[in-house]
Amino acid sequence: MTREATSAADESPAPGVEEAVLIRAAQKGDQDAFEQLVRAYDRGVLRVAMNLLRSTDDAYDVYQETFLRVYKSLHLFRFDCNFRTWLYRVVTNVCLDYLRKRKVRREEPAVIETDEGQWNRMDNVPEERAQGDPQRNLLNRQLGERIEAVLKGLTAKERMVFELRHYQGLRLRAIGETLGTTEEAAKTCLFRATQKMRAALGDFV
Amino acid sequence: MNCESASRNFSLFLYGELSIEEEQSFQDHLEGCEGCRKAFAAEKAIHQALDEREKLPPAPLLARCRRDLKLRLDTTAPRQADWRAWLAWWPALVRPAGALALVVVGFFAARWTSAPRPDNSLDPVVSRVRYVQPEASGKVRVVIEDTRQRFLTGDPGDEQIHRLLLAATRESSDAGLRAESMDILNARPASNELRGTLLYALEHDPNPGVRLKALDALKPYAGAPDVRGALAKALLADDNPGIRTQAIDLLMLKKEEAIVGLLQELVQKEGDNYVRLRCQRALREMDASVGTF
Repeated sequence: MTREATSAADESPAPGVEEAVLIRAAQKGDQDAFEQLVRAYDRGVLRVAMNLLRSTDDAYDVYQETFLRVYKSLHLFRFDCNFRTWLYRVVTNVCLDYLRKRKVRREEPAVIETDEGQWNRMDNVPEERAQGDPQRNLLNRQLGERIEAVLKGLTAKERMVFELRHYQGLRLRAIGETLGTTEEAAKTCLFRATQKMRAALGDFV
Repeated sequence: MNCESASRNFSLFLYGELSIEEEQSFQDHLEGCEGCRKAFAAEKAIHQALDEREKLPPAPLLARCRRDLKLRLDTTAPRQADWRAWLAWWPALVRPAGALALVVVGFFAARWTSAPRPDNSLDPVVSRVRYVQPEASGKVRVVIEDTRQRFLTGDPGDEQIHRLLLAATRESSDAGLRAESMDILNARPASNELRGTLLYALEHDPNPGVRLKALDALKPYAGAPDVRGALAKALLADDNPGIRTQAIDLLMLKKEEAIVGLLQELVQKEGDNYVRLRCQRALREMDASVGTF
């Protein structure tokens, strides 16, 4: 339950004056101010992209496209909603485009090259290696596969609502605003998503 | 509430999306219905399994994203409606000043790039035009601000680097820099100096993300009196509900009588629905009454 509140606060700059000053400066072309805004929110944006698209390559692309779109259209931001909501509206739209475009899920290499050397994406998967209990590891792996399958089986909107509620900690009202729908519609989407998970994972836990 | 509606509310309860009345009714039903209690336990286990499968962006990927975005931003112009409108009104003033600023920037850029220097003796000067004033003579007065940069490379445990990281955590005006410095320090063995810095950040840092990081890092010391004092203070004074929730969680790691009164006080005055619910739950976990009598 802590996730809900912590994620919501995580990485945000002090709301109100400080953020508004940064936004106004960025709107006037101050690139330093824009970079501060990016740093305040980019972990969250990358997390949304990673969890929605389950692909580091796509998450990288979404990150770039989201912040470039924001950079180019920041002058249109009129402070009539929370900046975070506005930013998440952009990232969810970019992700939806990717989900719609992606007909076949690409296979990704296990190891990617980065500035700091190689990064193995399996390092991010919870412990299921030789040092653990083999039976537990097997169950863990099967559970992981089930979860991946059920996430893929959700509609784009269900997946989006689930991600924003479960992993990003946004309230249903904020999710409704982000996705341009109502709180009630977001609640229905969340209910459908959790029903599907219950059906797919209920016998496993 | 019947079994069907209770079942519909499993997730909403776990996400803290039920009203206080709905939550009470849900819990009342659960207390009297073994079937729903079992089903709810299964739902909680599913939530936990999903938590463990969250894909977190690895630090190298984030670093690559930031670096590449910066390169792209350098070649992308933002749209600035206000600035352009202003330009249209004041071309005679701005254009000569802008041209001169470009000449100054070009001059310094040429200075930096003309002579290659070794990496760690590099002493570049970053110049910014801070002020431009046309004079009656037709000349323009330009005020340039120079910032001298130095590079230091070393192990985070090196005394000088460690001191600089502590200073950056406390004093930098850049919240991202404060958070990153804190991350590096948190990966080092605990020390009183670090603990003091974390307590300072929890109380004084204006950025809730940084305060939250400080809270996370204080978890191993959650039983210490000075840390518990800071947590109680955060609980009552911090304006961020995420921080207040996390403070409750840390205080609850050591269930002491002393925090009951604090939680009861908070239940009465807390404006955030979620924090209030978390408070009530904490009191129930300690078999304490939710209200003060």
